[in-house]
Amino acid sequence: MKRKGFRSLALTACITAIAPFAWGCGSSSDGKIEVEIVQYKPEAANYFKTVEDAFNASHDDIHLTISSPNDAMAILKTRFIREDYPDIIGIGGDINYSYFVDAGILADISGYEGMQNVNEGYLEIAEALELVPTDGTYILPYAANAAGILYNRQMFEEHGWQIPETWDEMLALCDQISAEGILPFYFGFKDTWTCLAPWNAMAVELAPADTTKQVNKGQTTFTKEYGELAEKYMALLPYGPDDPFAYNYNDACTAFARGESAMYPIGSYAAPQILSVNPDLKMDSFVMPASDEKEGRTLNSGIDLGFCVTADCKNKEAAYEVLNFLYADDTLQKYIDAQTSVPCKKGNFTLPVILDGMTEFIASGNMTDYQDHYYPSEMSVDALLQTFLIEKNKDAFLKNFDTSWQRYNRDIIRMVQEYEAAHGSAQ
Amino acid sequence: MSKHENERKRTFLLITIPILALFICFNTIPLIRGAMYSFTNSRGFGSHDWVGLRNYIDLFSDARVGKSYLFTIKLAIVTTVVVNVISLILALGLNSKIKAKGFFRGAYFLPNILGALVVGYIFNYFFTYIVPALADMTGLQGLSSSILSSPNKAWIGVMIVCAWQAIAMNTIIYISGLQTVPEDVYEAGGLDGATGWKQFKHLTFPLIIPFFSINMVLCVKNFLMVFDQIIALTKGGPAQSTESISYLIYNNGMSGGQFGFQSANAVVFFIVIVVISVAQMKFSSSKEEQL
Amino acid sequence: MKHTSSVGKSNKTVLVLLILGLSTIIFPLYMTVVIAFKQPSEMTNSISGILSLPKVWSLQNFREAMEVTDFWNSLKNSLVISGLTVGISILIHSLMGYTLGRNKSSKFYNFVYLFIVSGMFVPFAILMMPLAKQTAEMGLANWFGVILLYVVFYMPMNIMLYSGYLTNIPLALEEAARVDGASTWLTYWKIIFPIMKPMHATVAVITALAVWNDVMTPLIIMAGSSENTLPLAQLNFQSQFGTNYNLAFASYLLSLIPILVFYLICQKQILNGVVNGAVK
Repeated sequence: MKRKGFRSLALTACITAIAPFAWGCGSSSDGKIEVEIVQYKPEAANYFKTVEDAFNASHDDIHLTISSPNDAMAILKTRFIREDYPDIIGIGGDINYSYFVDAGILADISGYEGMQNVNEGYLEIAEALELVPTDGTYILPYAANAAGILYNRQMFEEHGWQIPETWDEMLALCDQISAEGILPFYFGFKDTWTCLAPWNAMAVELAPADTTKQVNKGQTTFTKEYGELAEKYMALLPYGPDDPFAYNYNDACTAFARGESAMYPIGSYAAPQILSVNPDLKMDSFVMPASDEKEGRTLNSGIDLGFCVTADCKNKEAAYEVLNFLYADDTLQKYIDAQTSVPCKKGNFTLPVILDGMTEFIASGNMTDYQDHYYPSEMSVDALLQTFLIEKNKDAFLKNFDTSWQRYNRDIIRMVQEYEAAHGSAQ
Repeated sequence: MSKHENERKRTFLLITIPILALFICFNTIPLIRGAMYSFTNSRGFGSHDWVGLRNYIDLFSDARVGKSYLFTIKLAIVTTVVVNVISLILALGLNSKIKAKGFFRGAYFLPNILGALVVGYIFNYFFTYIVPALADMTGLQGLSSSILSSPNKAWIGVMIVCAWQAIAMNTIIYISGLQTVPEDVYEAGGLDGATGWKQFKHLTFPLIIPFFSINMVLCVKNFLMVFDQIIALTKGGPAQSTESISYLIYNNGMSGGQFGFQSANAVVFFIVIVVISVAQMKFSSSKEEQL
Repeated sequence: MKHTSSVGKSNKTVLVLLILGLSTIIFPLYMTVVIAFKQPSEMTNSISGILSLPKVWSLQNFREAMEVTDFWNSLKNSLVISGLTVGISILIHSLMGYTLGRNKSSKFYNFVYLFIVSGMFVPFAILMMPLAKQTAEMGLANWFGVILLYVVFYMPMNIMLYSGYLTNIPLALEEAARVDGASTWLTYWKIIFPIMKPMHATVAVITALAVWNDVMTPLIIMAGSSENTLPLAQLNFQSQFGTNYNLAFASYLLSLIPILVFYLICQKQILNGVVNGAVK
């Protein structure tokens, strides 16, 4: 009797050992080349499903699979650990991209012909994201978003308010709006990442685009470069709700959609959430004015989605064929429409209505990347900013920024300085 | 008899070995492999360098990590007390002869099943809009702004939500503990005139001490490792006042590029919790023996 | 008699207190239900707005939520994973809990007990990457691997629960069977295992709930496969820049039902424990 029990235990052990083989993944090979894309924007899953279907319907030799998983970054990192690389990954132009380039995970696609059609502004942004300069290009910028100020157009028209072009004009406008009993801005600072939106939008005018790189090279400090920015940010606070740290992004979107404020300093990406609450809202955007000069203004815009081919990809030709399909004008236009974003490709695209106020900058390629695309996420600059806005101690904030930066970027700084020593800082 | 003893010993050993092997394979080995990363500057992927004890040295001079320990320990202690008091009372209530027992038991279980997104949304709403409005109506100055927006008070919000969710589980454990208290104990106690608090203190509680200690250990562990509620409620804010240790480890190590450093944090944290919990278990098992 | 009368009186107090306490649960639940039926355009930041009833009671949100999450398929995966985990856990963990609980005087078993229980305190984040790699190497990057990991993850807590429960079960019961010549193994399955029924139910509830709501393990282990569990599929409702709370709430309400039913069934088992009768 006893033995019977142990037999069942042994059986369990056997099942444990054998099962993996039974459930092992089967690969179907019907002679087609398999191309797999993992892209990180789950909100665009429907769009990519239609792209996948259209591609497979028109290609006999290549079979495309696009997955749009949730928390794709965790999934990608996990798969990299397992050395199980998709052929193409769709990611944003931020610090993760910089890390992936640095880790040698991505292939140089400068030879891909579609690169010719990329809006130069975004190519420069992509190049700048590399931790140390390389010869190659590793991302095909697809779509961008832009940050500035979203405003309630109906409200502006009714009151005859003008779009400000300088910092002083903006403060004057805020005073005027307040005087008429309306709240100028809404903030959702409970979600720390939203603290970065006005910061980035003002930084493009007030701090050098390559501030972080200069700091890494030891040429400047944040205390020097971010002083004015921090002061001006504080000056915006009185024009927002009483306790901005009580409201999260969702609250702020809802409040703005319901007309509780005239403006909302956030990116174009917020439009779908705002419109879901109030589909009839007439909303437009303008570039955040941060300095007193009308010359030299630039739009805060960065790569929201770009495609990278992995170094491990077996068939680059097939991958390029997929990129061609994705980058075709009408495919891209559909993405722009579905996601209210900005195309990174040159050509005549119909931009979303809410970007009307920014079109001029986009068309002329006058744009500067988000400062936060260079910040390592573990440093939590968003949380530092929130702390600063609560405590309003500029000097402590900047000092902390500098010391934290050195701490969190130690290895990168060493790498940059080694590179500088080897290549010289000559042009 | 000794033959029997041998049989018993052999059986126990044959049970232990495969299960222990399974445990080592999927817990101990990955833990050791993970701990290896704590000596590197790994970002979690790509190549990495060995950096010796640098991460550990950094750890002890990192103000942010220190702050997260203070917050987490404060939260764990207060929440453990609150949860155990309430769930013990609740368990006694739900175990007594009342009407609609099944309904109450079901209802009190609900907080545990609601997903983090729902809990986060509702309590955010509650603290941001409802509590201040109630405070305005009743003239309570201290609550007229959201407690989640105050670096000094936000932890109370986290505590309330943690307790709200955890009470159900602890209550279940207490209820199942109460089932092991034989009916005749009460009957005998009743004859001696032991009712209410006296009955609980002298008759019921001593018998459910094993469950009390299990609940204490589970509570301390769960709240020291608090993560979901932080994500749902505050994401570490305001002003980094509610960053729990697990939040830092996940957010900076997994999502961020500090994998090596946070592995070191995880190793130290693991040791801290083990020490606390083993001490707790030793303490309560010595109490059990006394009784 | 005196005993029962005093109980009768305090029961009313207990009932009143329980009803009062219930408000802390009814209110959030009410909000969840109301939001699950509303449209995004009905969402406001005012209290009257959030507490108001939806304009139309339509099941549209639920239908849509089921479509987005591929409900039946995800439900099936979640049920399979939770069910198997609970089943295996009850068998293996109770056995181990028994072994360790009955050998508290042995140094070796005491060490094993502490060794396994301390596994409970390992921060999951440190295990994630090594486990992702290890399961892939072993060909376990699938739902079977997920179940196996769950069985290991919840082993410490369950063993603690089982061996704690055993302290109140007298050794005499086993000794009686032993005198009749039954082996330890058989005694366990014939006598101890059934007697621990309330604890099985408790373990089942706790384990099932933890598995049911877990996102991280399937996300990391099954990364890249197209199979979703319910919580994984529910991530669909949130992205950084927008969350559809109405659909999400509808979906969470749906996924709440199976686990609630399971709990109610187990609850009966916890209370119908045989200990009281057997110990006499």
